[in-house]
Amino acid sequence: MKCKNRAITWLFLSMTLITANLSAQSLEMTGYARNYTGVLLNGDNEYSIVQNTFDLKFEHSKGKVAFKANPYLYHYIDRDLEIGLREAYLDIYFDSIDIRMGKQQIIWGKGDGVFITDIVSPKDLREFLLPDFDEIRTGITALKADYYLGDNTFEVVWIPVFTPTQMPGENSMWRLTPDFPIQPTFNYSQKEIKGNLENSEIFIRYSALTSLVDFEIMGGYMWDDDPIMHVTKAVDPNTHQLSSLIVTPRHHRLSLAGGSFSATLGGFVVRGEGAYYGGKYFSSNDPSLADGVVEKDYLHYLLGVDYALWDIRLSAQFIQQTILDHDDQIANDEFESTMTFLAGKDFLRETLHVELFSYIGLNNEDALIRPKITYDLADGFEILLGANVFVGHEGNFGQYNDNDMIYSKVKYSF
Amino acid sequence: MVIKKTCIVIIAISIAAATSILAQEEITGLKIIENVYNRPTGKDVQADLTMSLINSRGDQRVREIKQFSKDFDKMEKKIMFFISPADVRNTSFMSWSYDEEGKDDDQWIYLPALKKVKRISSDSKSDYFMGSDFTYDDLGDRHPTEDLHKLLREEDVNGEACYVVESIPEDEDYMYSKTVTWIIKDKWIGLKKEFFDEDDELLKVLAVKKYEKINEYWIILHTEMHNIQRDHTTKMEQKNVEIDGGIADNKFTERMMRRGLK
Repeated sequence: MKCKNRAITWLFLSMTLITANLSAQSLEMTGYARNYTGVLLNGDNEYSIVQNTFDLKFEHSKGKVAFKANPYLYHYIDRDLEIGLREAYLDIYFDSIDIRMGKQQIIWGKGDGVFITDIVSPKDLREFLLPDFDEIRTGITALKADYYLGDNTFEVVWIPVFTPTQMPGENSMWRLTPDFPIQPTFNYSQKEIKGNLENSEIFIRYSALTSLVDFEIMGGYMWDDDPIMHVTKAVDPNTHQLSSLIVTPRHHRLSLAGGSFSATLGGFVVRGEGAYYGGKYFSSNDPSLADGVVEKDYLHYLLGVDYALWDIRLSAQFIQQTILDHDDQIANDEFESTMTFLAGKDFLRETLHVELFSYIGLNNEDALIRPKITYDLADGFEILLGANVFVGHEGNFGQYNDNDMIYSKVKYSF
Repeated sequence: MVIKKTCIVIIAISIAAATSILAQEEITGLKIIENVYNRPTGKDVQADLTMSLINSRGDQRVREIKQFSKDFDKMEKKIMFFISPADVRNTSFMSWSYDEEGKDDDQWIYLPALKKVKRISSDSKSDYFMGSDFTYDDLGDRHPTEDLHKLLREEDVNGEACYVVESIPEDEDYMYSKTVTWIIKDKWIGLKKEFFDEDDELLKVLAVKKYEKINEYWIILHTEMHNIQRDHTTKMEQKNVEIDGGIADNKFTERMMRRGLK
């Protein structure tokens, strides 16, 4: 790991130096420096995060070819320095075809803050859903080809090596402790997906942008980014009590098909997105199951609307997950419904931005409420003050009830 | 014979003069505004736009945009790439405006942080563009039929003979109660324009600082909009203007919104 970090540091420095030499050859360097400080509101006023970020984007193009590299550095007061590459890819442009190869973030779908057909790039959930959207997506090494015909696009993405969701670390306040009757033993032997051709992932998409409606139709053969816990139980024959639990996290293959659309109706923008997932595994309490998991197909869909009223941007989405052929032993509800709301307004000639975004879980009456206010002190220099308030005691958001926080982000873009 | 010829010449000159007078008499406020609206500006245009926002203390914020527009059959397509400030760099905006009366524009925005092209509802024509002193209506082509136009007088401005036309909106709730425009007679350029608020008080003054003939078209290159009531000014300058350069049709697509200026 140290070696890897050293290599990336070297790359980081080299690119910075190269920039100076290549400036005459129009190598473009942009980026930002940012301080992000959060304070918990749970009594002790501990810092939830103190993070200094340095994010650089190098871009160069020459005729039909271009490249982009986006190294980043996170410095924490209580964690190891993190240096990585968010993206690093090459582009080749032909008349009707674009090819992109390398580490890249691929974003699909028309939903906001929801991952239905937007499943090509896995998520970084080490800080739950709180990071900015470009930081919550993990870049993946992929080969992407787009064929354009007028306003139609045919896209194929091949991902040779699977990348899972990044989950919170051992001591993270975002880590959830699974509820087991006795202390389990974890077996991680099957968690890794070997990098070979057979284990690669493939996605296809057809999209069109027209005056009437924008839409996407997609399909994928992929690995589930989130592992499911296979639980093997052993019972003491004498006492008939549970004697051991072996938990084996495993990723499973998923096949999915879906689509999304966006259209203007009067002053409204109406959006929809949906996908059918085949081969998803869920935890189950059914005692007849050997390893506590069951395979079920499920649907995930949303309907949303955007509208502006008195210069206030308003947006609402209804999102639902439905497990098909559901039985009562499955740990998840048959229907899980969530809503999102957004209201935003700009003041002072678009230098002061006020926004309220919230997720509301309808099954558990929980919510995440995210007000924020951003002021552009100067061009490219912004100060953000915000809060993350978790409401409820269970559900996706209520389970983090102790993690309410206020935070600031001071960012200088160049 | 000589007398006859002289008579014919006198009659011809008289007819020409009378025609000219009649033609001048026939010009109306509506006709003048229609001439401005229909002034040819080329089939396609690309330019670098610099917008400077200056407040009453003289503090300045600068926005730089590269823009392309092209007339298609029954619609105009426009795409803008934001270059500065740094936090909006690589954002792009595309609009398709239709000739069909009453049909709203289609608009999309590409936000590089989201890596997504989002359809957005048409901005209200009364909204201000990027915090400037220009509304979308001030920047776009407000259709002449939306106002009642009256030719007030003729006078010289900066050595140019101008028509002075008052335009009162048909819609009583419109943000301006009226505008008064000074239009150069032989060029159909609005050289100066005054905007009056709902209380009939002078709100803003637009001044054209520079215009040039490019490829046989009169093109406005530098304008300043001064909000009198808030003492705020927006300077808008176009550079590297290229007209009828043959912008490819596929410039106005999602592909190019994502690719940017590469």
